[in-house]
Amino acid sequence: MTAAMLYAFAALTRPSPAPSTVPGANIFTSAFILSIGIWAPVLMAFVIGVLPNPRGRYDTLIKQIAFFTNLIVLFILFVAYNQFQNFLPTLQYEENRQWLPAIGAAYHLGVDGPGILMLMLSALVGIISVLASTGIRTRVRSYFALLLLAQSCVTGAIAAHDLFVLVLFWSAATVPLALLILGWGGPRRDAAAWRLVGYWGAGTVALVLAVAGIYVATGGTSFDMEVVLKAPLGARAEVIIGLALVIAAATRLPLFPLHGWVRDVYSDAPIGVVVVVASSASRLGAYVLLRVLVAGEPDGAKLLAPLIAGLAAITVVYAAIAALRSSDIRHAAANLALVPCGVTALGLAALTPLSIAGSVLSLFAGGMASALVVSVFATLSDRAQTRNAMVLTGLAARMPKLAWLTVLAGLGVLGVPLMASFTANEMTFFGAFRTQPVGAFAVAAGLALTAIAVAVLIQRVLFGPPNPDAPAVSDSSLSETWFLGLMAGALLWVGIVPGGPKIPGTDTPLFDPGVVNQMVANIPEIASPYSGTATP
Amino acid sequence: MVMAPLAAFVIAISSVRTRRGSVNTAMLGALVTLAATLLVGWGLAKRTTGFSASYVYLTANVGLSGPTVFQNFEIDIVLHADHLTVVALAVIELCVIGVLGWHRIAGRNEPGPARFQALISALLFGCVGALLSTDLAELFMFWALAGGATYLMLAHRWGDEAAARSGRIALALPFLTDLFLLCGIAVLYSRYGQQNLSLLVPALHTTAGWTVRQIVVASVLLFVGVAGRMALWPVHSWLTGTATTAPPAASAIAAAVWPVVGVTVMYRLLPIFVSSNADTMRWLVIACGISGVLAGLYSLVSMEPRKALILAGAGVTAVGTAITIHGFQYRGFTFAVAGLAWVYAAAPARAAGALAASNIVNAMRTEEMREMGDAWMRMRSSAAVLLGVAIALAVSAVGALAIGVDSRSRFGITLGEAVFVIALAAMRVFLVTSSGPLRRRRAFDPDRVRDAPRQSLGWPYWLVLGSLVLSAASLVPAWLTFLDNGKHATATAATYALWLAIAVVGLAAAALPVGRYKDGSLRASSWLALLPDRLESAGQNVLGRYVVNPAVRIVEGTERLVPAADTAVGRISHLSGRYTVAALHAGDVGVLVVMAVLLSLLVALLSPGVLR
Repeated sequence: MTAAMLYAFAALTRPSPAPSTVPGANIFTSAFILSIGIWAPVLMAFVIGVLPNPRGRYDTLIKQIAFFTNLIVLFILFVAYNQFQNFLPTLQYEENRQWLPAIGAAYHLGVDGPGILMLMLSALVGIISVLASTGIRTRVRSYFALLLLAQSCVTGAIAAHDLFVLVLFWSAATVPLALLILGWGGPRRDAAAWRLVGYWGAGTVALVLAVAGIYVATGGTSFDMEVVLKAPLGARAEVIIGLALVIAAATRLPLFPLHGWVRDVYSDAPIGVVVVVASSASRLGAYVLLRVLVAGEPDGAKLLAPLIAGLAAITVVYAAIAALRSSDIRHAAANLALVPCGVTALGLAALTPLSIAGSVLSLFAGGMASALVVSVFATLSDRAQTRNAMVLTGLAARMPKLAWLTVLAGLGVLGVPLMASFTANEMTFFGAFRTQPVGAFAVAAGLALTAIAVAVLIQRVLFGPPNPDAPAVSDSSLSETWFLGLMAGALLWVGIVPGGPKIPGTDTPLFDPGVVNQMVANIPEIASPYSGTATP
Repeated sequence: MVMAPLAAFVIAISSVRTRRGSVNTAMLGALVTLAATLLVGWGLAKRTTGFSASYVYLTANVGLSGPTVFQNFEIDIVLHADHLTVVALAVIELCVIGVLGWHRIAGRNEPGPARFQALISALLFGCVGALLSTDLAELFMFWALAGGATYLMLAHRWGDEAAARSGRIALALPFLTDLFLLCGIAVLYSRYGQQNLSLLVPALHTTAGWTVRQIVVASVLLFVGVAGRMALWPVHSWLTGTATTAPPAASAIAAAVWPVVGVTVMYRLLPIFVSSNADTMRWLVIACGISGVLAGLYSLVSMEPRKALILAGAGVTAVGTAITIHGFQYRGFTFAVAGLAWVYAAAPARAAGALAASNIVNAMRTEEMREMGDAWMRMRSSAAVLLGVAIALAVSAVGALAIGVDSRSRFGITLGEAVFVIALAAMRVFLVTSSGPLRRRRAFDPDRVRDAPRQSLGWPYWLVLGSLVLSAASLVPAWLTFLDNGKHATATAATYALWLAIAVVGLAAAALPVGRYKDGSLRASSWLALLPDRLESAGQNVLGRYVVNPAVRIVEGTERLVPAADTAVGRISHLSGRYTVAALHAGDVGVLVVMAVLLSLLVALLSPGVLR
């Protein structure tokens, strides 16, 4: 199976003719890199689905297939990330095929700076979610097939450059995730799954309305983003479409008051699903807002900016207070995971080049931080056999690895220096103060409350006096340490070397061209309608 | 200078396991940092310009149109060492070494030794970075790192509920003021597109569209941000609140180090404040003066020796900051650096005072000064340190006040009052703890009171000595010239004598009430302390009642309402689905009849004359 994959992979690739200064670049290139990233997991999901597995005999093989599929996708996308030319404002790795000419829908894929960053996030999350799912024992085949399908949908939504294709992938992501929660979730999995379907379904309806509005307003001939997002619409049309997009984003990211699914999903979904939802799947909300509203509807974006900034500020403050008051550690973590969402939304609301760049970086950093905080507390509650913060105290001495990872998760949510979220927050705040000073200050105040919430939670759970009546606890296993460590490591890596490590004494990047360097491709073009706000 | 404490931190958390090993690692890191600092200082001795090094941390091209300064965002690690930086660093490192030396013996029973020493190294790394930074974003990065390490040190006793509760204030209040600092930097960047101070300051009045209002807002935000970490009254409670629950070494380091870092950063930011307007400068000076006086008064009524000394030190910092800001109010200023010299001189004394006071509190097993006494006979070394601290805090003011303030002006009178009260308060701590009987209490035998272990007693002495040396140096204009490479006029002998007399009178004035009517004076203090305590409680009650509790109730209500609303929507959806299914099964006639009835009802209700 692996040999067949490798053969197919080799058949689709060819050496690249152009030299590059990035060591490790130009290993290969392909006209179908993005399609490989989307459809390889689908293909392997099908293979896993049809693989006979009598009495779970091939559970380990299934997990290995899922793991190596994601590993190969990660490798391919990492090479694509390395070879990405950050000085080009146009789409790269573009694929454009006619699909439904009657309605103007095409299979159009491509990525720019924000897109390649989101793809890296999705690829990392793929590996991490598989590692987080090694504890699945029942219906393993179905689980990993659905997990791979979910990842494909997220990758497809990121890479899509046709609104029709985007909507399809966006809406399709809900189904496997809901089934995963229903089939393998905790005691309240029914409520969690149906809430996810309800909210994300409502968001999908809003997105469909927005896309339909754009389609009709631009003549009804094409869904291609290059066409419809460059066509001028009236301010009123842009505001109405923008409102629908904000609702879609607010259900997915999420933002107050459309956050109702967060608590149940993050506390009752399996950990591997939580990782996918909290990181890449939920960031699609902000990504679509960036792609469609900010990049394509500038008048609507400017008029709706105060609304988005207000929602961002309320989300952060609400999340901090709710986390502070919660006695269930998984609920508290779910609320803490909302904080990076508010910062991302603030960056998009501010509409300055720097704040947009900060928001893009926050997609990666905030996604990782949210996933880390939710999954670390999920692991902690599993290992400690209870979720009650009043019972759990003094765990650090007995769970040193999890204690460290929990502290790193808290620091990641807060955005302390050396974490990727610090750079993202700084860029967002520095850019946001020009146009949304009140919103920026309110988010900053919310971060102060979040600091208290994190301190109270961590002190109570990890560092208080041990509770003799609490159940027995055990430290994290190897796979748990690995998947949590990968997320923490990603946050630290981007935080310490956001511009990528260089060969000492030179400017030559060393296997990582730098997240910040790659993500800025096309941001000046996206921000160009708003550069007038930069004028003092 | 930067890498040594970082290396000590990494070694301490990764490979050191024993208490002794961790102390030695932290001490080695501090000593290497001090050696590097002295080496740089020696190199600067013959230079007038400092040393600089620059590394690109982050650069992002985010725009192609609009003003050029906003098209590229860059954070550089720019390290600049001049005379002032070197002296500030040397003072900090001496304080850290002194406290580490004391903690090595006296802090044997503290939990988590490796963690604590690692945090001291992390704090030192942050402070060094903050002092060497000239890029505001870089400054904030190191500032926040140092702040995080400070919080973890102050809340070090994780197993103790009281320590955890007071640690939350040590996190929340400085973090909030740090966010003020970040907002101030963001406001400046949003207008000027610059973070490097050397490029920002010349552009303040030359960038098109600049307004005074923006610079004023930025100045106030920056001031509050720095003042919070300096623990100026009224944002001092993060230090006083943890004085009794944090390890003494942590309190000592926080009380000594942050004023030095804060006042130096304030000095660097003052050209921005100057660019605002004269009113802003005046109000900042007034705020610092009021803070100094009130901190001294609070110290006078405080019944806990460590808190009293922290408040006295906060008064010193406030008045020193007032002199520094005052020095920038006039063109051709020469005495601003005198305020810095005063704060630097007081820093080691503050650390020594915290250590000696904790020795006495631990030995006498009480935190109430009412129950203390006779330390001069039973714990002479620690008592002598407290005396030295009081003298150092009082006398360190002389140079700055003589050079910077007119004794006949209102400002001079205010600062003189502040110094008098601070001297009085600091001396009061010594006299109350050292004189009078030490009474027997339940489960407490005064005859068993002993001073701290001998090996730890010397370190506070060295700190006090260092403070006195720096105080003496601050009287010499050549020292001030070394600090800022500027010319400084000498005050007359009479001026020095006047301010010295004020300090001495303050010290002596404490002897009268305490010496003759100790119990009565303490009763009066505790009665007077009720008023600020009541005001503070009232303020907290108001805040809780009108801000915190409603916010919490709203959030909790929303947390209940959202799932309930979801459930209701789900039920309605389910019900409508069932009706739809039922309608499908029913005959067409039945559906038509139901629809007709409903429509009729609707039309009837909406028709005029039916309901009215």
